[in-house]
Amino acid sequence: MTVSNTGVTAPPGQAPAARSAATSRPGTRAGTAGKSLRERDRSGYLFVAPFAIATGLFLVWPTISGLWMSFTNQSLTGTGSEFIGFANYAEAFSDPQVWQTLWHTVWFTILSTVPLVVVALVMALLVHTGLPGQWVWRMSFFAPYLLTSAVVSGLSAWLFQPDIGLLDTWLAALGLGPVGWITDENVAMFSIALVTVWWTVGFNFLLYLAALQGIPAQQYEAATIDGAGGWRRLFSITLPQLKTITGVIVVLQLLASLKVFDQIYLLTKGGPNGSTRPILEYVYDIGFTNYRLGYASAISYVFFALILVFTLVRLMPTRKEA
Amino acid sequence: MTLLRGRGATGQGSPGSGSRIRSRAESAGGLSRRALLQAALAGAGGIALGGTLAGCAAPGAASSGKTPVMIWDLFSGGDGALMQEMVGAVAAANPDIAVDSTTLEWGAPYYTKLAMTSSGGRPPEAAVMHVSRLAGYAPGGLLEPFDLDALAALEVTEADFAPAVWQKAQFDGQLYALPLDTHPYIMFHNPVIVQDASLAGPDGKLDLDAVAGADRFLAAGRAMAEVTGETGVGWGYQRDTAGCWRMFWGLYSQNGGGYELTPGRPADLDIEAATEVFEFLQEMVDGTVAAKNQDGNAAAGRFMTARTGTMFAGEWDLPMFREALPDVGATQFPAIFGTPANYADSHSFVLPRQAHPDPAQREATYRVLAGLLKEGLTWASAGHIPAYQPVVEEPAYQELVPQRDYAPAAEIAVFDPDAWFTGGGSDFQTRMGDAMTDTLAGEAPPRTAVTRMLSEMDRFLSQPNPA
Repeated sequence: MTVSNTGVTAPPGQAPAARSAATSRPGTRAGTAGKSLRERDRSGYLFVAPFAIATGLFLVWPTISGLWMSFTNQSLTGTGSEFIGFANYAEAFSDPQVWQTLWHTVWFTILSTVPLVVVALVMALLVHTGLPGQWVWRMSFFAPYLLTSAVVSGLSAWLFQPDIGLLDTWLAALGLGPVGWITDENVAMFSIALVTVWWTVGFNFLLYLAALQGIPAQQYEAATIDGAGGWRRLFSITLPQLKTITGVIVVLQLLASLKVFDQIYLLTKGGPNGSTRPILEYVYDIGFTNYRLGYASAISYVFFALILVFTLVRLMPTRKEA
Repeated sequence: MTLLRGRGATGQGSPGSGSRIRSRAESAGGLSRRALLQAALAGAGGIALGGTLAGCAAPGAASSGKTPVMIWDLFSGGDGALMQEMVGAVAAANPDIAVDSTTLEWGAPYYTKLAMTSSGGRPPEAAVMHVSRLAGYAPGGLLEPFDLDALAALEVTEADFAPAVWQKAQFDGQLYALPLDTHPYIMFHNPVIVQDASLAGPDGKLDLDAVAGADRFLAAGRAMAEVTGETGVGWGYQRDTAGCWRMFWGLYSQNGGGYELTPGRPADLDIEAATEVFEFLQEMVDGTVAAKNQDGNAAAGRFMTARTGTMFAGEWDLPMFREALPDVGATQFPAIFGTPANYADSHSFVLPRQAHPDPAQREATYRVLAGLLKEGLTWASAGHIPAYQPVVEEPAYQELVPQRDYAPAAEIAVFDPDAWFTGGGSDFQTRMGDAMTDTLAGEAPPRTAVTRMLSEMDRFLSQPNPA
């Protein structure tokens, strides 16, 4: 799964990089005397080798062997590796759990991506407008991002604890009834999204803050001289200038959210009644708890294909703009 | 997530910084950088190689002349320290054996690791397994049966075990698991609250008759709730699918429910009996007898702070409860329905299949396992009921309180249904627990839980056995 995402993430950021490298290259070449082209190319391979070997071993090979596995009835216990054609895929497409868990993943992505972009932007704007004690804000907004998923899940499990949890205790003090934060099927996914936003919003915040600091001050000065107020400057200078970084953040966030697994596995194990089980947990359950590696591979390739299609569709307009 | 974002971010900044590094390196001359890289590569290679070699070496073995025996266990709780103590005692008694015991966290990942190491052909010599998982492992050839003659030579025979657990350790007429204990799902009680609620016998402990039968049990729960001012019975079902399953399967067996789980055919349960169980549980989880929306941690917390009178839990929680309530009492599961039955499982030793079996190691393994069984008294102090009967009959065991009070649970033990997908730490238990949560929370009628469980069972039965 990581496989697909990294491969897919690269284009938006790297496409311009690759292009600029291509154009600058002839110039650099002309400037280097002595060494022949071929010699330089050979040393290039050497530089690429470590990464290429690691990629080959841990990315390309597992991707290929996983694809092969999805056409077999391979079990974790070592038995059965006969080729069974598309039987696993046929099962996956007719397995309601696949579609249900896929929807849970998509639902989580929707619930988390929107606030993770909007809240990050608002936080960055607030900090950028020059609140006193900048570093405190920067640190406290970013700090949760440094926690591991196990810590975040452990903390929130105590906050969300049914009956004696901190949040319910506060609510009770306000005279409000208990909320089944992670025990009510209709609420659990919102709680997980809430925790995720608190946990990871710092990264997007940092990207936005960096982009804000990159907007030339002259533009604001000129606008002020022309009589533009604060809101006018925000909507006519700041937000348009953040368009590119917003595109990057949205893509990164979508891909990160689609990969959701750890906080859900640690917090609810997919419950209550399977209402928060994401597709990756289903793959894990099938492959590692139920030992059906072949079928689990097939499901993950279906997921892979869906993400691939989605990303390609998303990339098309970006290409045109560039 | 971190990895992905890190890469995306680097991609953004790379063009400028990349070219800067290049030009600086060229002016300084490529050689030193190349040398540096080569050294780094060699270093990395060395580390990788060292890692591989270290991985190959048999731990603490050949050099000392001892026979290495590696045992995996899943005792990550308080009983883990006791297992270490027992291993130490056995190692001291067998100076020619180097016993290496490894504790892994219990749960689904433990069984994943065990299956993988067995299929890899180089598993530990022995491993602890819930006997309820045997049906998923033995048929697939992941385990090897025990040699009864070799065990008999070490004074371990069928006569030394309770019939129920011995029976459960068999597959295809052979012994595949050597039971270490029976660990039932029992009821703890706080003697003070029980006495105040007039539910105690002459010895000051819970009188099982006072909680026999559903109506009497619920009345007792209300009486205790009156004493505590909160709830009477502690049971956490939220986020504890294993606890849900243990409760259901024990009560269902008490209610005389049978089952048929044959792969390829629809699951069969006694729907009436199962529905009655949920009707009772819904009555129990009413906010007075037991808290409405409680998980295991909250229930244990309430019990240990005397805000509830009894607590349904595994006997392995005894050390934890005793720390808070030194005179905590415990009994077998109350007879809520007609037939006495007590959900239980058993920790047992299994022999994962070796690709290259070594007779000397096998012989040493038998000696270690027999030695561990005979250290059962130490094991019993964690709460477990030793499976090796000579230990149970020792006077020292009969003096362990409350262990001796719930020891009869082993005689009415009911284990998980026999099927390849059932057992402790299985996906099956999770799915069953999930299927009943809505009903337990009062958001669905009792029948819904049964219908959902049957449909989940059908799904498992329609899948191929991967082992």
